[in-house]
Amino acid sequence: MPAKPEIKKVPRATFLGRAIAGNIGALTLGVKYFFDPNRITLLYPHEYIKLKQGYRGYIVLIFDKCISCESCARICPAKAMKMVSVNVKDKKLNKVMKKKYPVINYNRCIFCGLCVDVCPTEALYHVPYHDLVYLNMNDMILNLEQFQEQPEFVTSKEGVPVTYVFDEKRGLVKVRADESVKQEGQTGQASGGENK
Amino acid sequence: MSEGSASGVPHLPGMEVRPVERNVYEVQIGPSHPGSGHMRIIVELDGDVMVRVDPDIGFVHRTMEKLAEGRGWIKNIPLFERMAILDACNTTLPYVEAVEKLLDIEPPERAKYLRALLCEINRIASHLYGIGIFAVFLGHSTIYMWAFGDREVFVQLAEDLTGARLTHSYPVFGGVRRDIPDDFPQNARKAVRYMRYRLDEYAKIYLNNPNIRKRLEGVGVISKTKAAELGIVGPNARASGIKYDVRLVEPYEAYPELDFEIPVFEEGDSLARAWQRVEEIKQSLNIIEQAVDWLEKHPREGFMHDKFWKTAPKLYKDVYEGNIPYAGKYRVKLMPLFATLKVPPGKAAARVEAGRGEIFYYVESDGKEVPYRVRVITPSFRNVIAFKYVMPGHRLMDLPAIYGSFDYFPPEWDR
Amino acid sequence: MDMVTAAKVFSDIGWGLFHYIIFYPPVYQFIIIPGLVAALVVVVFMIWFERKAAARVQMRYGPLEISPRTGGAPQLIADLIRYTVQELIIPSAADFFAFIVAPNAMLILSLLPMVAVPMTSISEYWPIPMGYSLLIAVALSTLAPIFTVVMAWASNNKFSVLGGVRESFIIVAYELIAVISLLSVVPLLHTFNLVDIVNYQMSGIWLGLLNPIALLDLFIAILMSTSGFPFEIPDSETELVAGPFTEYSGLIYGINMGGGYIRRWAFSVLMTLVFLGGWAPYRPGPGILLGYFVPSLIVVVKATIVMAIMSFLRAVYGRYRLDQALSLAWEVLIPLAFAAFGISVAEAFFGVHP
Repeated sequence: MPAKPEIKKVPRATFLGRAIAGNIGALTLGVKYFFDPNRITLLYPHEYIKLKQGYRGYIVLIFDKCISCESCARICPAKAMKMVSVNVKDKKLNKVMKKKYPVINYNRCIFCGLCVDVCPTEALYHVPYHDLVYLNMNDMILNLEQFQEQPEFVTSKEGVPVTYVFDEKRGLVKVRADESVKQEGQTGQASGGENK
Repeated sequence: MSEGSASGVPHLPGMEVRPVERNVYEVQIGPSHPGSGHMRIIVELDGDVMVRVDPDIGFVHRTMEKLAEGRGWIKNIPLFERMAILDACNTTLPYVEAVEKLLDIEPPERAKYLRALLCEINRIASHLYGIGIFAVFLGHSTIYMWAFGDREVFVQLAEDLTGARLTHSYPVFGGVRRDIPDDFPQNARKAVRYMRYRLDEYAKIYLNNPNIRKRLEGVGVISKTKAAELGIVGPNARASGIKYDVRLVEPYEAYPELDFEIPVFEEGDSLARAWQRVEEIKQSLNIIEQAVDWLEKHPREGFMHDKFWKTAPKLYKDVYEGNIPYAGKYRVKLMPLFATLKVPPGKAAARVEAGRGEIFYYVESDGKEVPYRVRVITPSFRNVIAFKYVMPGHRLMDLPAIYGSFDYFPPEWDR
Repeated sequence: MDMVTAAKVFSDIGWGLFHYIIFYPPVYQFIIIPGLVAALVVVVFMIWFERKAAARVQMRYGPLEISPRTGGAPQLIADLIRYTVQELIIPSAADFFAFIVAPNAMLILSLLPMVAVPMTSISEYWPIPMGYSLLIAVALSTLAPIFTVVMAWASNNKFSVLGGVRESFIIVAYELIAVISLLSVVPLLHTFNLVDIVNYQMSGIWLGLLNPIALLDLFIAILMSTSGFPFEIPDSETELVAGPFTEYSGLIYGINMGGGYIRRWAFSVLMTLVFLGGWAPYRPGPGILLGYFVPSLIVVVKATIVMAIMSFLRAVYGRYRLDQALSLAWEVLIPLAFAAFGISVAEAFFGVHP
């Protein structure tokens, strides 16, 4: 059933109705919201949004799963991923060889998530936060060791985590999120996503 | 309007020469003005009445078409969505459709519904942005805050679906990148009901407010013939009586199966353009409800074309099901072949109804990893001519009322 | 022989200070209440209230970060300090003398009607003889707006001139409405004396109930004269940057922004005295505190409520176009003002009395 066009008319009102009823309608709506406000402001950094697990935040590498196929560096639209050669002891062949591993330059990364999606062994994953601060631009070019650990999320130490739930009357309502970020373990893996 | 060169005045070919009139003074509503956007409007005034209006655009030119020639096919998707980041899915969808025509594949049905769902969410967000900016040009800051606050609801829905608030990069060749999460249908229904209730309140405090009605009624009237002559597209044309919408003329994605109306107004003034956007939001809410119903009922298969999914290893299906704990759920993995995709040579074109009008892509390939030529014609590219021909004759204080009602977005023209 | 003790000397000095300097009516009225001090306190409160009221309607908080418990009230003090110490930039193409003098003249002349209004019914606390006080107050209130046009002309900037020309159109329009509305109570009560007008309202029926059209007209005229929404035309931000105030920075920008509110305050006090009962239903007792201080506080509270309603309209209305505002004034409000005058005459004829 394809679409069909339909002629509509701008609602008309008589002169007196427009002048009086229009003003009274607008004013009563203003007074209603004055006495019963519906605020959605996030008081950052006293509060911060605890994002869900599918959020495309910063990227972390799992060293053991990478097979050096270079797909992530090839697909990156902003040329933020680069491969560096390191000497690594190959377990199967039991000798030291040069292998390539990715490093990332956060000055250029646009968080599109194509590298995470294209990795054939799922060696990259997103962490669900995005608000980090660096003191100079050179710090944003990570080397291989820094790429493997989850960046430190400073806001979670000082702020209260909140989430926004959908509501029919008020749109988005701010509620406190009960789990803390510390659950995401110190090992290289994030815990399962929180359910809402 | 005669722009012929004044005879006898030395000038280079292509320059525009016009005589300067005596009683006219020039005001430049320049780039760093609270009511001008990223452009300069050169207005010549005779008292309070505008005599000539000249939009001076090009401040946000980023050479996107040339940049696209040096990057691989899939890398252009995040590039092109930054042209009009508000409705990101609508802006990249014709590119993906054109390349799919060259690759000779067609996305499966679930992918089509998912793309249509995100297109409608983006259309609502884009219209709310336009309504908000329009209201603040008129001094009505309440609707500015309400529109942007209600837009949060839909941006949050898009974030649940794709993982990013604005820069979705969602359609890829052959399908989409993610499927809907488990609690998405009920959230979407709550959002739709909330927005319907809110649109009544917008009408009460803004569109039926006698102050705003007086400001907008009869201002910037574009008759049907003039609209066709100028070539404007989108809600601006439909508010002048032209029954043209790409979803009507050449339906794409899941639109042949969805049941909705296309509102058309006939008055052609700024108030009709404002109502046009409100009515389109109502229709988009209907479409979202139908799409979510369909997606909930049908099984989760067919989100990516078989060419890119059939030979996938078991790991990909595991990631989709959510069996790997750190990797999220319902994520569609891309084959490494996407990084070095070679598209067979040929030419293709596609068009889509974005929030502001019809957007058209022409893609030409000569068999390599990078496109040979991509040409984009955006809706703002076609609407900007109305500044020059509609505004003269109105008072200076009508300039924000007309400019805001066109919903002109400078980065979209300047690419 | 009296013992000249230190306590007696101090109490004498204190009594003298109190009676002859602080509560001396011309000084008290121009500087303390309802003059400079009260005006500044109310203006600071009113700017905070406007931002908070607009924010409550608009799904946000307004000023909050500075001290969340008091709702961000010190934000205004911070803004005031910022304006005081900001660098004053005077464009070299501007007319220096007029540029500097015009905002200050506007501030002083906005407060001038406050010396002509009574704050109590006890005759020793009147600043001037009250025989024609309504007429004098209305006449003094018309002096200030010309300096906006002077500011616009002195700035030497196209946007300022556009704003100044718009302001000059609006001055001509609202002046007549305000004067006729305020003077429409005179045929009913046969007196220009503001004290008599307030005393007539002591019986409980305020003149606003007897003549609501004049009250509505005066309210709209005050909105037009002080750039309140929906008539915020001279300094419409998205069209003219800031109208006549574009080139100002630093302390004189603060004076400009506050000066508009101070003008609104002066008109609100007049409106309270004429239409909303003044210090009724309180009868001033003897002595300074009961007889002078308390009635003036009641007037301040009532005028603040009137100003709060005007500030709230910011959240509901947009801006009128200039010719629409002028046609509203000339075609709708002036006939209504004459009708209010006629209602007053009719009420006097039929003996309807407060």
